[in-house]
Amino acid sequence: MSRALLMALLAALASIAGAASLLTGSAALDAGRLAAALLGGGDPIARTILFELRLPRALLGLAVGAMLGLSGAALQGYLRNPLAEPAVLGASNAAALGAVIALYFGLAAIHPAVLPLLAILTGLVALGLVFLLAGRAESPLTLILAGVAVATMAGAGISLALNLAPNPFAAIEIMAWLMGSLEDRSFAHVAVALPCIAIGIALLLWDGRALDALALGADGAQALGVDLARTRLRLLLGVAIGVGGAVAVTGAIGFVGLIVPHLVRPFTDRSPSAVLLPSAVAGAALLTLADVGVRLIPASSELKLGVVTAFLGVPIFLAHLLRERRLW
Amino acid sequence: MIRAAALAGILLLASCAAPPVPQPITPSARPQRVVSLNLCADQLLVPLADRDQIAALNMNARDRWMSAVAAQARGHRLIRGSAEEVLALAPDLIVGAPAFRTDALRRMSGRAYPALELPPANSYAEIRAQIGELASALGHPDRGHRLVARMDAALAGMKAMGRGRVAAYYQRRGYLTGTGTLVDALMTRAGLVNIAAKLGKPALSRLSLEQIIAARPDVLIVEEDSQALDDQGAQMLQHTALRHIPRIVLPQAWTVCGGPAFVDAAASLNAQLAALPDPRT
Repeated sequence: MSRALLMALLAALASIAGAASLLTGSAALDAGRLAAALLGGGDPIARTILFELRLPRALLGLAVGAMLGLSGAALQGYLRNPLAEPAVLGASNAAALGAVIALYFGLAAIHPAVLPLLAILTGLVALGLVFLLAGRAESPLTLILAGVAVATMAGAGISLALNLAPNPFAAIEIMAWLMGSLEDRSFAHVAVALPCIAIGIALLLWDGRALDALALGADGAQALGVDLARTRLRLLLGVAIGVGGAVAVTGAIGFVGLIVPHLVRPFTDRSPSAVLLPSAVAGAALLTLADVGVRLIPASSELKLGVVTAFLGVPIFLAHLLRERRLW
Repeated sequence: MIRAAALAGILLLASCAAPPVPQPITPSARPQRVVSLNLCADQLLVPLADRDQIAALNMNARDRWMSAVAAQARGHRLIRGSAEEVLALAPDLIVGAPAFRTDALRRMSGRAYPALELPPANSYAEIRAQIGELASALGHPDRGHRLVARMDAALAGMKAMGRGRVAAYYQRRGYLTGTGTLVDALMTRAGLVNIAAKLGKPALSRLSLEQIIAARPDVLIVEEDSQALDDQGAQMLQHTALRHIPRIVLPQAWTVCGGPAFVDAAASLNAQLAALPDPRT
């Protein structure tokens, strides 16, 4: 499939997902009322629901999905490991831990930027730790094990922080931070996440050519003039800033970054750089569709996004683990 | 050693076989070591008991977000309510413990403690009844009568300002308080219609922001701490989509338990309703 055709198809899919996200919700609004509101008319109720509840939610779904999909593609390319992605490597949970500390210990009240900054910082520390522990390991599983360790520790840290927080309801919120949700977000959340995601996407796309060169190995890449240290720094910062900003408003959403590159790779020439942009667009579509899904599944209270993405992602994760079995 | 083993054996037997005949502690006319095991019992115990009658209150009694008697509770011993804490205090009256907990205490100690269950009050009539019941058990029946008379008079002097407005008691993460609750009793008394009744929702249900906006309540009643706390659950109540709905803020400490604070809640609700524009104009 040609790259232009693939991108056009994925863009169409993401647009459909975005539109579906605007059309679904817990309040029954028929298409006529929504269309009237969309054209600037309509009743104030429909306008409020469409523009203040569903629109920020759809935008966040698309942006966060793009960030997670792209991070997965970039990490898989850089580490040459099919299981690498922000959640598996612990970056998502660590960023959620930073957000939890900022929110529940009053730091976020100091300045609005504290929340994403702390999430980015903790995400960066986690990624740095995983890279340090296992970035050059022979077996791809070592990296995953290091990631699982960091993710588990960050998850435990979230629980501990919420139990220690001077807030009687904090313990109830553990689920939301560990499983992720886009419910009831506002444009204030979009304003936090979008700039971080834009920076993250820019940094990761910048690395595309270097990732292709790295497919030849570190020495080969250096011979081609790739500055490995800078490439790694851009990758770490890109993932940490983008995922940190996203997680600060949605909580940790797992597996999107894992699934998406595997879904789009067969339609590309399989070079790391060719997977990047399609993964971003496909990630946007996938997460937004998952978010439509949590609204359609009838449950007494809305499902968390991580529930749906885990059901989609774990089979792929296991399939790859089984393929790696000979290395155990 | 042998005696200890025998004792352990007896305890073991006692827990699965026939319980030992409990030795009742005769309820005294004026108990001197009263232990409260829940926050709502604290709300009644503190105003009705003499200060030195109280041996311990629930650990949340001093939390100003949850307890209307937080200030008066200062200086009292606070307990989580584990069996060993209670037994160590040798109470002569236990209030606010469900029957299964007092049963467990009886089985463990072989003594029957006088107890007053005081289940959560869901109406003003239940609050009145519980005040009378507890005041008698504490040996201060007159104090109970006077408190009820004061509350009756205060409520009778209030003018219902709700004027048929539809109100939603909307809590963090979108929980909606329904009918048959103390909050519903407050609303009805103030002349409000609980939106949960209109929507056919149970005593506690969940309504998303979209649903609450589509249901168009005339007024939102929110808890004070959800305005003060900045966390994910409370943030939803600060969503810009809710800004068009007039908002009444009540301290949760007044509504979470049935007690004398019911009057404060009713007064505050009516005063805040009076400040809203008339729905008929």
